[in-house]
Amino acid sequence: MTVPARDDARFEQEAMRWLPDVSRFALSLARDDSEADDLVQDTFLIAYENWNQYVPGSQCRAWLFTICRNHFYRTRSRAERQVATDAPELEALAAAAVHASAKADGLDDAFERSEVLEAIETAMAELPQPFRDAAILVDLHDHTYDTASAVLGVPIGTVRSRLFRARRLLQEKLIAHARDAGIAPRLAGPDSRGTTQ
Amino acid sequence: MMPMLDCDSVMRQLWDYLDEELTPDRMEAVRQHLAMCERCHPHANFERTFLDAVAHARREHSNPSGLAARVRNALAAKGYAPA
Repeated sequence: MTVPARDDARFEQEAMRWLPDVSRFALSLARDDSEADDLVQDTFLIAYENWNQYVPGSQCRAWLFTICRNHFYRTRSRAERQVATDAPELEALAAAAVHASAKADGLDDAFERSEVLEAIETAMAELPQPFRDAAILVDLHDHTYDTASAVLGVPIGTVRSRLFRARRLLQEKLIAHARDAGIAPRLAGPDSRGTTQ
Repeated sequence: MMPMLDCDSVMRQLWDYLDEELTPDRMEAVRQHLAMCERCHPHANFERTFLDAVAHARREHSNPSGLAARVRNALAAKGYAPA
């Protein structure tokens, strides 16, 4: 019996080009370099073994991300939890309240402050997994709602709900971090700096 | 023609707008509102700065060429031989 040859040249052209992207995605999921490297290697081995299932010309990056994510949760016994979310528009409105609160404390520019920027990775890791996954895909890896929906295997509306909840939770964590760290409000203008000529 | 949007409607759609996920007409309507609204404009800037900050938190691999070589070796052991 003749085993049909895999089209290695096409795998090289369409799949291997996304190795840096898959690598960054794995780092976002695993948060441990060694585990992330294993995950990347496994992802490409699985993709290679299943290359005949890939539809030529379709979204290869999203296909690889799906394999990577599914393998991560399957092998690490991290069961995906189903969570209920509020209407995404309500999360957007709640974020407006976060802004108002930050502004009242003089932290309107919190997301430009180095102390807060350094806390983003930790705050992201603390998000509940379904929300975190949506934020990783859209906010860290530039997926559209549509391709994130394909990777996560959920409807676009669910992606929006999870993404917007993730953003609102992340903002609350980061503003709380700014307050706890005693980050002082920046003063508005030269006249308010308290210096004298 | 898209009707003028009020602040509440813009706030509800702001993340969809910043993600460029609205229809072209809706994108333009939100853009026009933000350009002239003293209440919504600062909030949009706050959210945009937040999204930029998160995007820059993406981790990069410390040795990408080493990882690529490792993956290629693993594939070669399975018979992978491009061109």
